[in-house]
Amino acid sequence: MRTAAIPPSPLDERIQALSEKDIATILRVFREKLDAEAAANLNSCVHCGLCADSCHYYLTTSEPEAMPAAKLDLVNQVFKNYFSLIGKKLPQLVGARALSRDMIREWVDSLFGRCTLCGRCSISCTMGINIFSLIRAARSALAAVGLVPPGLQSTVETAIRTGNNMGISKENWLETVAWLEEELRNEVGDPQARLPVDRKGSKILYAINPREAMFFPLSISAVGKIFYAAGEDWTFSSTNFDVTNYGLYNGDDQAAAIMSDRLFQAAHELGCRELILAECGHGFNSNRWEAPEWLSRETGLRVRSILQLVAEYIRKGRIRLDPSKNPKPVTLHDPCNLVRLGGVVEEQREIIRHSVLHFVEMHPNREKNYCCGGGGGQLAMTNFAQRRIEAGKIKADQIKRTGAQVVATPCHNCIDQLMELKKHYQLPIEIKTVCEIAADALVLEGKGR
Amino acid sequence: MIMAILRYGVFIFLIVSLSLLTYQVLHTASFGRRRLHSEAAGRPREGIIYALGRGMMPWEKESAARHLPTYIAGVIYHAGIFASIFWVLCLAASAHPPRPVLPAIQFLMGAGFLSGAGLFLKRVIRPGMRYISCPDDYVSNLLVDAFIFSGLLSSWLAAVKPIFFIMTMTTFLYIPLGKIRHCFFFFYSRLLFGSYFGRRGVLPRQRPAQTKG
Repeated sequence: MRTAAIPPSPLDERIQALSEKDIATILRVFREKLDAEAAANLNSCVHCGLCADSCHYYLTTSEPEAMPAAKLDLVNQVFKNYFSLIGKKLPQLVGARALSRDMIREWVDSLFGRCTLCGRCSISCTMGINIFSLIRAARSALAAVGLVPPGLQSTVETAIRTGNNMGISKENWLETVAWLEEELRNEVGDPQARLPVDRKGSKILYAINPREAMFFPLSISAVGKIFYAAGEDWTFSSTNFDVTNYGLYNGDDQAAAIMSDRLFQAAHELGCRELILAECGHGFNSNRWEAPEWLSRETGLRVRSILQLVAEYIRKGRIRLDPSKNPKPVTLHDPCNLVRLGGVVEEQREIIRHSVLHFVEMHPNREKNYCCGGGGGQLAMTNFAQRRIEAGKIKADQIKRTGAQVVATPCHNCIDQLMELKKHYQLPIEIKTVCEIAADALVLEGKGR
Repeated sequence: MIMAILRYGVFIFLIVSLSLLTYQVLHTASFGRRRLHSEAAGRPREGIIYALGRGMMPWEKESAARHLPTYIAGVIYHAGIFASIFWVLCLAASAHPPRPVLPAIQFLMGAGFLSGAGLFLKRVIRPGMRYISCPDDYVSNLLVDAFIFSGLLSSWLAAVKPIFFIMTMTTFLYIPLGKIRHCFFFFYSRLLFGSYFGRRGVLPRQRPAQTKG
C-alpha cells in the first residue's frame, strides 16, 4: 500500500490531541452522513483512474494524491474498514484502513486541501459516482470534532454569529443601500428610483453576497438598475441578506440549515413569494438544492437565481438591451455550483448574447467547464492558497485561448479567484458579473418616469 | 462423473454469486434512504436514460474521449467476459452454440483476454495507477483474464474444459468479494447519477429553448 507525505497543517496539534472518543465521533458522524446511495457509490469504484484528468488539481500538479479516485479512496478505505463485511474480514485485499491520526491528517489535507467539491470528476466518472458528496460527508465528520481549516470555519462562525459571512452590521448595510440608492437615482435620472429594504408584501426578496456590499457595490447597483428597468416589485432584508452558505463547504449541516433558514424566514416574514439569489454559485446550490434537505422540509418559496429572472425579463420584453454598449469580446466562466451542480446553464448565455456584440465560449464549457479553483471553501483556507493558485492555471489557460477582453462570471467566489489568477498569470482581462454586463447594456428610455 | 460435478458446480456458484450480489445491493438500503424535499427542475427519468445510454459514449463523456484506447479496451474486455460466460454456460448445459457463433465467441474471448492483459499492464506500469490500486485490483484483473483465457483454450482443447470450469467457479465466488461486484453496482450508480443530474436539469444537456426555472 502507498504512503503519503502530508505537509504540516495548522490542525496537526488538534489531530494529535484527538481522543479515542473524538475518533469515534468522526466515525459516527461519517456513518450518519451515508445513505443507501452513498453506500452504492462506495461499492462502485473500480480504480480505473479515468477520472484523473477531470480534476484541475491533478492536471496542474500530476500528483497522484490529487486524482479524484485517490481522494475518494481515502473515504472508501475507512468505509470498508468499518462498514463493509469484506473490508472487516479481508482488509488488506480490498485496501481497508482504520481511521488513525495519520489517516485523519490525509483526510484534512486531501479532502479539504485538494478538492473544490466542483463535481467535475463525477461527470467524468465511468461509474457515475457522486464523488463530491462523499468527500463532503467526510468533511462533515471532520467538522464534528473541529477539524475544519481555520479560515473556512471562522467564515461559518461569523455568518452564524452576525447573520452574514463578512460581519456587516445592520447600520452599515443600510448606509450602503442608501448610498447605492442615491447613485441609482442619479444614474437613471429618477428621484423615485428605489433600493427598497424590508418592504412588506413585495413579490421578491433579493439576497446578495456580502462581498458585494463590502467590495463590489457595482454588482448591487447593476441588479438595482435591472429591477428598476423591469419595474420589479422587490425588497432587500435589513437583517438577512446573505446568499452565501459556507456550511456547504465545511460540511456542517446544522450550521448550513440555520443560515439558509434565516433567508427563508426573512422572505416569509416580509410576505415575499420568491427568493431571488444573487450571482453566487455555492449560494445558489445551497439555497436552491441543499437547504430543503438540510432542513428536511420544503421551503414554501420559489427559489431562483437572478440570472433566471433576468433571462425571463428579456424573453417577456420587460427590459431592453443594446449590445453595442458592450463592444469588447466577452467570454463566460461557468461556476460549478450554479451550472454543473445547479442546472442554471443557458440563462447566463441568453443574457450575455443580448448584452454584448461578441460572445466567445471557452472550452470545455457548461457542465464540463473546469473549476476556477476558488470553490469548496478554498478562498477561505489560506493554508492551501498556493495549491489553489497552481490549480487555477487550467482556468487561466482556458481564458487566454478565448482571446476575450472581458470574463463574465455569475459568482463572487469565482470573481475573487479570477482576480488572483489575473494577477498571477498576467491575464489582460476585466472581470464582471453577468448582471453588470446586462446593466451596462440596458436601454432605459421611457422607464419609470 | 467429475465433469458432471463441475458442470453443476458452475450453475451452483453462479447462483451463489448472483445471490450474494443481490444481497449486497439490497444491503445498501440499511444505510437509509432520504426523501428529497427540493423541487425538481428536470426529469430524473430522462437523466437515467441518458446515464445508461448516450452518457457513456466518448462524444459525451470526456474521460472516455481522452482515454479512447483504454475505453475501447474496456469495452472489448467486457465483451470477452460476456462471451466467456455465454461459452461456459453452453458447456455446462452441454449445449452447443450454432456453428457460426463459435468463431465470434472465440474472437471476443481472444480480444477480451488481450484487452484485459493490456489493462493489467497499464495498472502495473503507470505510477498513478499503482498509487490508486489495492491487491483486489490486480487479483480481479488476473482472475478474469485467466477465466477468459481458459475459456478460449477450452474452445479448442477439450482437456482444458475442467480447468475452465474451475476458473469459472473461482471467478464467480470472487465476484462479490472484490471490485468485480461493479457488475451490479455499475447499473445502480449510473442510475443514481442519471437521477441526480436529471433532477437538477443538468443532464441531458438542455437546448436553450428548454431552459427551466
